[in-house]
Amino acid sequence: MNWMVSMSVRSAKPTFARGAHSLLAVFLFLVMASDTRAVAGEIEECLSCHGSEGLSVTLESGEEAPLFMKHELLEGSVHKNLRCTDCHAGLQQVPHPERHYKDLAQFRASFGEACKNCHFENYTKTLDSVHYGLQARGDVFAPTCVKCHGSHDIAKPAQPRSRISQTCATCHRPISEAYAKSVHGHALIAENNRDVPICTDCHRSHDIADPKSRAWLMNTPNLCGKCHADGKLMGKYGLSTAVVSTYLSDFHGTTAAFGAKGRKTANEPVVALCVDCHGIHNIGKVTGDSAPAFRANLVKTCQKCHPGASDNFPAAWLSHYEPTLERAPLVYMVRFFYKLIIPFIVGGLLLQILLHLWRTVVNR
Amino acid sequence: MSHESQQAHESQQAQESQQAHKDDEVVRFSLRDRIDHLLVMVIFFGLALTGLPQKFHDAAFSKAIVSALGGIAQVRYFHRLAGVLFSAMTLIHLVTILAAVIAGRSRLAMVPGAKDFRDVVTTLRYYLRLSNVRAQFDRFDYKEKFEYWGILFGGLIMITTGFALLYPIEVTRFLPGQIIPAAKVAHGNEGLMAFLVVIVWHIYNVVFAPEVFPGSKTIFTGKIPRERMRHEHPLEYARMFPDEADQVLGVQADEPAAKPAEKSAPKEDG
Repeated sequence: MNWMVSMSVRSAKPTFARGAHSLLAVFLFLVMASDTRAVAGEIEECLSCHGSEGLSVTLESGEEAPLFMKHELLEGSVHKNLRCTDCHAGLQQVPHPERHYKDLAQFRASFGEACKNCHFENYTKTLDSVHYGLQARGDVFAPTCVKCHGSHDIAKPAQPRSRISQTCATCHRPISEAYAKSVHGHALIAENNRDVPICTDCHRSHDIADPKSRAWLMNTPNLCGKCHADGKLMGKYGLSTAVVSTYLSDFHGTTAAFGAKGRKTANEPVVALCVDCHGIHNIGKVTGDSAPAFRANLVKTCQKCHPGASDNFPAAWLSHYEPTLERAPLVYMVRFFYKLIIPFIVGGLLLQILLHLWRTVVNR
Repeated sequence: MSHESQQAHESQQAQESQQAHKDDEVVRFSLRDRIDHLLVMVIFFGLALTGLPQKFHDAAFSKAIVSALGGIAQVRYFHRLAGVLFSAMTLIHLVTILAAVIAGRSRLAMVPGAKDFRDVVTTLRYYLRLSNVRAQFDRFDYKEKFEYWGILFGGLIMITTGFALLYPIEVTRFLPGQIIPAAKVAHGNEGLMAFLVVIVWHIYNVVFAPEVFPGSKTIFTGKIPRERMRHEHPLEYARMFPDEADQVLGVQADEPAAKPAEKSAPKEDG
């Protein structure tokens, strides 16, 4: 029964709602502990009909709704100790009360609401998601709880972590393939790396925002910065955390930080964000062996927004490096010059003002 | 008439004329100068207001200014517009001066000379009470010249780097890319320095300095009180009023009774 406890601990934030969940879990635990035989009994009873392959019902639309449940599916399920009617509410009576479903989509949707009875917080989050938006507009292919989590064979979603991208890939195939080839996806799949982001680290899990919205786009530097400004994490891979600060202090980053106006969609760039140069799901390595190729391609990257940029142009961007005498001597020297001259001039003038005031006072 | 009595007579005459001219003003700046200053003042303020938030993009004041002006795109638009106006003004100014020089109509009063450097030393010695002799200035004192050349040279740096930042693609077609970030560093820092010099030095000299407090109106009205003119620009004053020349040029030291030795003036070529 230890799944219950781990369920509520996983990704836990100590909120009131979580606390309530834990209480619920304990409550269920107690109920079920005393009731395991009853659960098994109910499953047996349901399976006496629903265990036979080919059991189905014809809906008004003429579609066949399969009613067969493979018993083995429950074996791997985190819900194997729930009663059937905990989710399929109102079906305790046999024969079941008559119900009317227009089509298969409506029939399936009727079970979607079942999850919220226990998982209310996550359910609420989905109401803000781009997926729910599709559902609300009547898109029958829009994912519901069970589309991602499964139904009878419901398992912990991120074990292993790569399972998440497989889940998303059922609908987002091309993106998943691009991700798999990216520096992040490759490390996840080939090395089982625990630091690289999986889909849900950037897109979140239940309250998935519309990635084409302006708010989302303008927030992407923060998303990348979550890891790439983390010194401890980046230190493990010898990556610089100056990538965020250097971006923000240059033209593009400053514009983005001020919330560049005018960018409505991904196709209407007003300022270069991280993803415009590095890619989105296909983010490649830019250090080590990959650096020359990335560099060679840089002019083309610039030309996406700056048509007519010459081969000299990419050097106008210091590639996230702080200017040093070796890497950008001109920039370094200009900066050094002003570091000296500004205090010298302004300090000198201030001193003269003070002397002037002093002499004026002395004269009186 | 003995020497002494002649001196006494002159001093009495001077006192009378001083009395008569007490409320007098003399013209110091032409209409053109005043308009130029007003325009530069407004444009400079506009440039600083829209430029500093871009340099200090993290600061709270920057966010406030940018959102008050309607976003970063608007701020940049105003900044570039002001920059182009400033460039045009600078160009017109330079062309006018060049024309005047060619026509021989310019006195080149702003050109710094050896005297200006001597004046700095004299003034600092005076401030430090190493001497009671005050420098005697012509039309423009070394402080005014410093500001003029500062804004002219600084302005030229701002104009060239500003245009490099405005047209990075065109510039990097014939110059290395590193010019652009270098121009950015120079533009931001030069702008900051200009701002600080104006805020600290210029505003002190024309508003807060005890001699002018609560502020000199000369650059707006074009006129300066005759007394201040005598005091601050004695060499030019002496040229304007030759009959008072001896008297004006004689007064160089404070507290003449205390240190009569220092009354002997340094040899000025005024």
